[in-house]
Amino acid sequence: MRYALPTLSDETRAKHAAKGWPLALLGSALLLVSGLLSWSYDDRILGDISIRFWPVGVQIMAMVLGALGVAFALMDRGPLRRVGNWLDVALGLRALSTGVLVFVALVLAAIATEAGGLVNVNEGGWIALVGALLMFVGSRFVPQRELGQMHSARIPGWAEILVIALSMAAVLFLAAYLLNQDDAWLFVLGLAFIIALSMGLARSGFFTWFGHVAQRHKHVLTLAAFAVAFLFPFTQNGSDANMSIATQVLIFAATAIGLNIVVGLAGLLDLGYIAFLGSGAYIGAMMSNSAFATIGWKPPFLVTMLIGAIVASIFGLIIGSPTLRVSGDYLAIVTLAFGEIFRLAMFNLDGNNGPKLTNGPNGIPGIPDLQIGSFNFGDTHNVFGIPLGRFSNYYFILLLLIGFIILVFTRLNNSRIGRGWVAIREDERAAEAMGVNVFGLKLLAFAGGAFLAGLAGTIKAHQDSAVSPDQYLFLESAFLLAAVVLGGMGTIAGVLIGATILKLMPEKLRFFSEYRLLLFGLLLVLMMRFRPEGLVASRRRQLEFHDEDESLAEEVEDWHLEDVR
Amino acid sequence: MDTFAQQLVNGLTLGSLYALIAVGYTVVYGIVQLINFAHGEVFMIGAFGALSTYLLLFQGQTSLWILPVMIIGAVIASVATAVIMERVAYRPLRGAPRLAPLITAIGISVFLQEFVRLFYDKIPGTNFPSAKQRIPFPRIEGVTGTAFEAGGVVVQKSALFTIGCLIMCAALLWYFINRTKLGHAMQAVSQDPDTARLMGINVDRIIVVAFALGAALAAIAGVAQGLQNANINFKIGFTAGLKAFTAAVLGGIGNIQGAVVGGLVLGVVEALATQYVPGQFGGSAWKDVWAFALLIIVLVFRPQGLLGAKVVDRA
Amino acid sequence: MSTAATAPQRTAPAIGAPVVEARGVVMRFGGLVAVNNVDLTVHEGEIVGLIGPNGAGKTTFFNCLTGMYKPTEGQVTLSGETLPPKPRRVVTAGMARTFQNIRLFSNMTSLENVMVGRYCRTSAGPLTSILRGPKYKREEAATRERAQELLDFVGLGDKAEHLSRNLPYGDQRRLEIARALATDPKVILLDEPTAGMNPQETRQASDLIFRIRDMGIAVVVIEHDMRFIFNLCDRVLCLVRGETLIEGSPAEVQSDPRVIEAYIGGGTDDEEEQA
Repeated sequence: MRYALPTLSDETRAKHAAKGWPLALLGSALLLVSGLLSWSYDDRILGDISIRFWPVGVQIMAMVLGALGVAFALMDRGPLRRVGNWLDVALGLRALSTGVLVFVALVLAAIATEAGGLVNVNEGGWIALVGALLMFVGSRFVPQRELGQMHSARIPGWAEILVIALSMAAVLFLAAYLLNQDDAWLFVLGLAFIIALSMGLARSGFFTWFGHVAQRHKHVLTLAAFAVAFLFPFTQNGSDANMSIATQVLIFAATAIGLNIVVGLAGLLDLGYIAFLGSGAYIGAMMSNSAFATIGWKPPFLVTMLIGAIVASIFGLIIGSPTLRVSGDYLAIVTLAFGEIFRLAMFNLDGNNGPKLTNGPNGIPGIPDLQIGSFNFGDTHNVFGIPLGRFSNYYFILLLLIGFIILVFTRLNNSRIGRGWVAIREDERAAEAMGVNVFGLKLLAFAGGAFLAGLAGTIKAHQDSAVSPDQYLFLESAFLLAAVVLGGMGTIAGVLIGATILKLMPEKLRFFSEYRLLLFGLLLVLMMRFRPEGLVASRRRQLEFHDEDESLAEEVEDWHLEDVR
Repeated sequence: MDTFAQQLVNGLTLGSLYALIAVGYTVVYGIVQLINFAHGEVFMIGAFGALSTYLLLFQGQTSLWILPVMIIGAVIASVATAVIMERVAYRPLRGAPRLAPLITAIGISVFLQEFVRLFYDKIPGTNFPSAKQRIPFPRIEGVTGTAFEAGGVVVQKSALFTIGCLIMCAALLWYFINRTKLGHAMQAVSQDPDTARLMGINVDRIIVVAFALGAALAAIAGVAQGLQNANINFKIGFTAGLKAFTAAVLGGIGNIQGAVVGGLVLGVVEALATQYVPGQFGGSAWKDVWAFALLIIVLVFRPQGLLGAKVVDRA
Repeated sequence: MSTAATAPQRTAPAIGAPVVEARGVVMRFGGLVAVNNVDLTVHEGEIVGLIGPNGAGKTTFFNCLTGMYKPTEGQVTLSGETLPPKPRRVVTAGMARTFQNIRLFSNMTSLENVMVGRYCRTSAGPLTSILRGPKYKREEAATRERAQELLDFVGLGDKAEHLSRNLPYGDQRRLEIARALATDPKVILLDEPTAGMNPQETRQASDLIFRIRDMGIAVVVIEHDMRFIFNLCDRVLCLVRGETLIEGSPAEVQSDPRVIEAYIGGGTDDEEEQA
């Protein structure tokens, strides 16, 4: 089930092997140097790339890609050969060069459209293109070499931790850089850069190695990730524009991780999940101090949060109860129907068509900011002289929430209950015959996932300062599902990436927003066709989706044995 | 009594529409055990196919003989969509975990809606209106207006058309399934695809036929919907699809008679609930809620449906 | 080796109190009577064989015992208590089974498979699993330790971390037995445990079954391999067309002309069908 582009035969490759390597090295070097040259006559585009020996933006990206190419080439034969005999540099170089070619082509396209025609491209741009082409052609002829064992690649523990820290710092830097790009082209080019870099690193096996390192230092990695996330608002100089997007991403991600318990762990499809976020949000709104709130009792927020979560999990139990009798596709449609019932009910409960609870289509506006103790979430607070605005405040509380949700997810996953879920996914009847409480575990997944979504909902109500039925359409459930599917069923990192992509793209690429749903539909179809296990796959899920792939099973087993060792 | 009879007529009209779409769910499910969630969109495309045929060939005309041509246009559009969908998206996923085709179906559904919304007015060589708002559906003589009034009960011509379509399609379908070679082959595949394959039946072809058959009926439903509501939009497929699925489950999914009965029952229940549920929970605001509640109740207490499903509990 | 070494064990079975008692079990599917009035008693520390030609109702009877089917008439008791007609409750009550066509959790490791078997004997709920107090850690460690013990017992100790789908066929059968043993059963039902095995693996299997019996667990075996059954079992029940043809010691059953007749008839039919 693996798809690959047509490749050269081994004979052709062996015949021209001697020419390939120098070409690839030369190409990479050219790319590296091109960053120092002028790329365009126009000094107003892409952050002024016209000055020589003053690389900015895309030029730096090109230099980084070039440097990686040079490093790969020198690792293949040359002084760096010793560095990683387990790195498949030939494959890495090929993947990298493909990405580089796309990247450089995009840069030239950007210059042409922004400045009006390819005549505006200066020598640097052309040299980069030549370099990319040389890399691309040359790397096709670099033969793969005999690889060493991955576990012989151990470096001292402190060095591994240093690698994690550096990677995290790079992630923080890149995220801050991308988010600060108001220029849509720079944003796209930044993405292309990241994709090219990741392609090269992934194909060379670097990510596999990094995965082992991460496995060995799980706690360090988690802490580092949270430290990065925590530091992010401090890079924004008090600007709320990006923080607003960031909080949206966090809410979305928190809900999607909850959904991942249902879909990724228990293997049940829930197409009405947004209703749980909605019931939390409505509870939060109805019990808030808004003038339109419909419940007179105003408990402290933590109590409201708990009530919202409990109400959501009661809905979860109700939605989960048909699992006793129906499974698979039927269940998915039941959840879809529940989701629609929720939306219609919120739309109708306006006092005319039922009790006055939700104000119908108008929803509940004017929800005041959260106030916990003397800390008001609407105010700007100064920390170390850096102003942190309203959205930063919500960002931090959401970060706490998402930390809690991740804790729940991973601990349930690695426990007796998680094993039960896997067993149900693999063979429901055998699981039942081995004494696993199938129905109970399915209900638990629904109720637990709903609980977490309910928690997120109560915060969302305050952060959006309004709730209305049209926020809880089926499409939103589909989006949550897409985040899980795109990122990877059963993994945290996957869902975080999926949620970020799905929420960030439309915010940053306004011109693209009209086609957002179209591409989204296409994305779901393509993912199911070519990589159903998602970008960051849980290894077990990957196996489940590729039932007949024996070599994959061997690979996963080797990986597992390596971690156990 | 008048109100009751009127609601019954409304319910049967609505139910005929549901039944026509529901057959598509049930036929495909009977053959490949796949809930083609995007079937509602096939129905929507049928309505747009009919509209396009009208706009291209007969703009401004109203005579009745146009209608069959519009139906042919609708059927071509729907069948082409369904067959391409099967070939490109579903066939490669046969044998994949069941989550995969369902998610694919959601993707297709969103894609088709958006495709119509964004590109309907941009089809080269035409000057179709933008599908971002509702588009008025042509009024055809003979199927527009009141057919007759009896004892205070008003029956629309479009309602008669819809019910007539259902009766005719049901009869043709019955003939096709029970009296033709292809129909027998379909029955064989739905009972046991592996054995059917060994007997020399081209299973891939039968699956395509099932998709095409469902699509043709959905296309006719699309025309009927357009005539009844006098306008169409790119969103009509979602709710109609969900309702029709409810009808298919209600009758017992995989069971063709069941789909027809389920559709009619659902339509009548919906119409009566609108009229007779007392107090604040009555009226048209809640009718969809009652329909979906019915779906859930049926699935929980009688998952095999009213007439019994081919397969009760598939993982 | 097996016959010589195991013969003394067989002559001195430590028969104890009855564990499973099936009384007058009838199973009808519509008009078809698949199992008609079958009795079976299994005692502690006893190996009982269930034989019969194809279509004799062995598997249906087996499914009645394990709660997959609810018998139309008659009842099955385990240690004197009526078995609930739910597979999960049956396991908790102390009856475990393996499957004719192996049904392991194929993408889990061997160890994890066996740990799933411990599910019904452990209790950690969602809250304990999230909080991870000392009790949770103790239980988890005990589960792991017991699972490893059982893997050692069936001879898969060194394959604990291998994916079960990557194991050779014979090992998968043994892993299924280990998983069933993890539920602490009083009686274990094995559905064709040697199907598809070579003679050496078959010998190892009967060895393993003796060792299970020696732990004081009652064993019921469905099998086609006559030599295997007659070497292994203390008592054999032969079903033909849903009814008990004969029940007795292997020697008695083996020499009964009706059994031979039933088998020769059924056996040739089988071969013709398969040919």
